Amino acid sequence: MGTNKLLTGKRLAGRVAFLLVLLVAVMFVCSLLGAESVSFKKVFSSTGSADVINPDYEIFIQVRIPRIVLAAIVGAALACSGAVFQGLLRNPLADPYILGISSGAGLGAIIAVISGFNWTLWGRSPVAVFAFAGAIGTVWLVWLIGRLAGRSNVTGLLLAGVVVNAFFSAVIMFLTSVAKSDQVHSTIFWLMGNITEEEWLVLWLSVGCVTAGVVALFYISPQLNVISFAEDDARSIGINTIAVETIAFAVAAAITAVAVSLSGLVGFVGLIVPHGVRLLFGPDHRQLLPVSAITGAIFLVVCDTAARIVVAPAQLPVGVVTAIVGGPFFLILLIKHARKVGRLVK
Amino acid sequence: MSIIEVSNLCFSYSEDEVLFGLSFQVNEGSFLTIAGPNGAGKSTLLNLLSGQLKAGSGSIKIDNADVQSFRASALAGKIAVVRQEFVPMFGFSVLETVLMARVPHYGPLGFESREDRDIANRALEATDTVKFARREIGQISGGERQRVFIARALAQDTPVLLLDEPTSFLDLHHQVKIYDLLKKMQIEKAKTIVAVTHDINLAAQYCDEVLLLGTNGDYYKGTVRDVFAPETIEKVFRVTGFSGRIGAEKFFLPLGEFARDRPGKTT
Repeated sequence: MGTNKLLTGKRLAGRVAFLLVLLVAVMFVCSLLGAESVSFKKVFSSTGSADVINPDYEIFIQVRIPRIVLAAIVGAALACSGAVFQGLLRNPLADPYILGISSGAGLGAIIAVISGFNWTLWGRSPVAVFAFAGAIGTVWLVWLIGRLAGRSNVTGLLLAGVVVNAFFSAVIMFLTSVAKSDQVHSTIFWLMGNITEEEWLVLWLSVGCVTAGVVALFYISPQLNVISFAEDDARSIGINTIAVETIAFAVAAAITAVAVSLSGLVGFVGLIVPHGVRLLFGPDHRQLLPVSAITGAIFLVVCDTAARIVVAPAQLPVGVVTAIVGGPFFLILLIKHARKVGRLVK
Repeated sequence: MSIIEVSNLCFSYSEDEVLFGLSFQVNEGSFLTIAGPNGAGKSTLLNLLSGQLKAGSGSIKIDNADVQSFRASALAGKIAVVRQEFVPMFGFSVLETVLMARVPHYGPLGFESREDRDIANRALEATDTVKFARREIGQISGGERQRVFIARALAQDTPVLLLDEPTSFLDLHHQVKIYDLLKKMQIEKAKTIVAVTHDINLAAQYCDEVLLLGTNGDYYKGTVRDVFAPETIEKVFRVTGFSGRIGAEKFFLPLGEFARDRPGKTT
């Protein structure tokens, strides 16, 4: 489909614009759904009077919208960085967590929970701050080990990622088994990926970070195309592969760390969204990255809405929904495009 | 005039010395074949020439400048490398693959110019790959894919083409087609061609000069007639065989232990 016609700037801009409109529409519809029914008319009917509390307005502006924006940011960051990691490692099984980000963030989070810190940094809880630090620290560690291990860059990185992941997961298990039960509950929710309400300051900062990251990655996407084809070829074609790879790894890891510190370990988005986009639009990163980001945002907004309303008034961790909804959806795509995927995973 | 100048080149992988004291030149617009047994360092030499490996000692000069002194993008303007064909992980189309050669020339928004597209189209035409330009690179045959890889090297628009065993997995028809294509590029576009190959008979038909690398550091460089002498081939490759000539073409047929016409075999 996408591979038949050459990508032009105009065609790309058209698709991105269409998907952005779709994203806004989906966010709007999802903001009206929920345990409490909210009428859009009522939301803005009595905002003028400060002394009268308008519950519809409160729910809409302070609860629904922030949460939906948050889901969109997390989805965009995970899907986009998943696409980058798959391309960089030339591995269709790669996802944003493959280099140990998940276990590093998880370890940071559980340490914060167990030590019972009680402070905030720029509106962030200790769990978020520790998770972010753990994620960035782990990627740096894996990158360092991969470099020291030498060999082909990719094999060294993957092996380092697998080992660090396994080690940190063991530490997480250990800490979970010695933690108190209420601490364990909140940790497990975090590990499954859980989206809650955040302050607007945090949201705007995150929107800024993730958008900047996606734009930066788009900027190096022609080079990523060649690297995803073959690293040697990229070098002999005249691409500074070390610079491009370092930037791509750093930016993808950073936006993943932002996402993880906001929502915990939401799985599946970073794996299946890039694959779905590739099946429909082709492997060109100039299109794959922005389209994955927007599609990931739409996907996670829908999943989080489901997580809010399916067992209302209780809530599910969104990671459970992404796996339950995403798994079968991806399998349908896979079967429909069986021949294509057969080659993809060869 | 020589475009590649190698003098006293040495290279080793940690303890393993692969090349020592290798010196040769490649003239502009000539066709050089690099042959030799496995482990003689043919691919190593190719990686040294393309700047992917650094020489232990000695020097490699491209256009009178050390190969390591070039920035990646500048060297890519001198030398294009064609590796053995493979099926890439992701399904780029043939045209997208060829256009990759132009990525360093893309504009700030990451799209190719009219000129880049023309160059890619000319490369597709030259390699006879236009008819499947829209197909996915994984959906065409190995021989076709090798031609696409050559098209991409052509789209890089360099004076030198380096090829690593361009015909190793191809049938006879496609082998000949690849060599015809390379010879055509040499004649029509004045390209300098350096190809590593195991197929000395086919290479002998097309190349101007041969560099034959032995496993113990000895090497032979010269015309096909001088280097591909039966004694030399038998010594370097450690085989015995039959050498002959049909018209202007020389050939060497290795004969194994069970060959019916092995020299000295009593029947």
